[in-house]
Amino acid sequence: MKKIFEVALGIVTSVGGFLEIGSIATAAQAGASFGFQLGWSVVLGTVCIAFLVEMSGRFSAVSKHTIPDAMRERFGVNLFALPLLVMLAVSLLVLAAEIGGVAVAIEMATGISFPIWALPVALLAWVLLWKTTFSFIENGISLLGLVTLAFAVGVAKLHPSYVAIVRGFVPTLPHHDKAHYWFIAVSVLGASISPYLYYFYSSGAIEEKWDESYVGINRAIAAIGMGFGGFLSVAVLVLAAMLFHPRGISVDHYQQLPELLSGVFHRTGFWLVIASLAIACIGATLEIALSLAYLVAQGFGWNWGEDLEPKDDARFALTYTILIFAASLFSLIGVDPLKLTEISMSLTAASLPLGTFPFLILMNDREYLGEHTNGHLGNAVVLVISALSAVLAVVSIPLELVGGG
Amino acid sequence: MKLDLVADVLDEQLVDSKGRQAGRIDGIVLELRDGRPPRVGYVEVSPITLLSRFNRRFAHWYARHDRKLGEGRGVPTRIPWTRLRREGPSFAMDIDAESTPIFALEDWLRRHIVERIPGG
Repeated sequence: MKKIFEVALGIVTSVGGFLEIGSIATAAQAGASFGFQLGWSVVLGTVCIAFLVEMSGRFSAVSKHTIPDAMRERFGVNLFALPLLVMLAVSLLVLAAEIGGVAVAIEMATGISFPIWALPVALLAWVLLWKTTFSFIENGISLLGLVTLAFAVGVAKLHPSYVAIVRGFVPTLPHHDKAHYWFIAVSVLGASISPYLYYFYSSGAIEEKWDESYVGINRAIAAIGMGFGGFLSVAVLVLAAMLFHPRGISVDHYQQLPELLSGVFHRTGFWLVIASLAIACIGATLEIALSLAYLVAQGFGWNWGEDLEPKDDARFALTYTILIFAASLFSLIGVDPLKLTEISMSLTAASLPLGTFPFLILMNDREYLGEHTNGHLGNAVVLVISALSAVLAVVSIPLELVGGG
Repeated sequence: MKLDLVADVLDEQLVDSKGRQAGRIDGIVLELRDGRPPRVGYVEVSPITLLSRFNRRFAHWYARHDRKLGEGRGVPTRIPWTRLRREGPSFAMDIDAESTPIFALEDWLRRHIVERIPGG
């Protein structure tokens, strides 16, 4: 009974925690510019992150190691340093984008421009981390995150052609704006396959003392939770494809996002989008800050844990403190959160193999996993999708920057 | 049981006698003995050792600054090999890390920053 409850809770938190600034913004851009055609990028990204999350939960449940812990142990500090530094740099930008997302949501609610909100948002995120526990963050914020289900309801009310949506799940070549098409595809992939998500999940499995008996539960949570999360991203894409694409509107500002639901729910829709954006982004802010602090603390063998008091893990607590306030500086000086999102999501895609390849090596190591090592399917899916994302990113980022297409 | 120094000891988690995570095994020190094979003498836990694995100059620079912080600083912390045993995924030492400089930064940050923040 306890485990059924845990599965339900795990699924709810994955669904509530799936959408964040990256997936909302990139899915909306994909739908607005290319209709249903880029649906495949959401599907590919979701399949890949579902596999990665399943692997990281299994890895920690069986080996009792977190991923950074095992990376340092297996590959030594010299090889560990590269993914560590790249991930810190890229995730700091993602963190900045999430803080910007909350600030923009408050701007739309109050009319006061977003740079003013950068520090208050950072302070709120910091107080939540400083004062609360892991389960409060995971369960509380993710439950609130279920407001993002409004996007799915919105789609249902528009009565789209479901056949046309599913047709978009098959990759096709672009008819126009080729460079932009691939750039958006890469951003969607980067937004779905967030490395912080599976690092966070692996630390969570250790904090909640999972053991081998959780392998099955973990699989259910990863598949259903990530599946529903991807379904919500598709919902955002479909809304943008139906409301923006026919009118030739591209998503260039966050201020356009409320239109995704205001057409269906009117004034309530406006507030639903703002609530979704604010909650999803504050949730992601907390997860990313924690995830990076875990990464550093585990890599150097410090005491860590969101359930410890800050005085018992001072270095860990100060690491997330510094990261949050450093990331808030981007919004404070007025860097456009949408631009920041695009850049950070495409850089995430470009750097994916740096994290996933060493992780795959660990997932095939019998010393850590015994009989629970990866099957061929899992290896192939993560290998191919992360390599594909990186190659597409390396090719399309320069093209997008020079404005080709 | 066979123990491979680089694969199974270097970079492993160290846990102290009170169960706290006390850094990682950043280096292994062998003792050379006349007419007999070398043996493992100590493991080192220190940013100095860690940095010297990238670049000795960084390590010297760090050590020079660390030395100013008090007696016994400026050199890597050494734990005798005989005080360690394998325990689960980590190495456990029968020493309280507070009696070594391993928690020096942690303690400094707690006293000077964390405890001065309301709610810390």
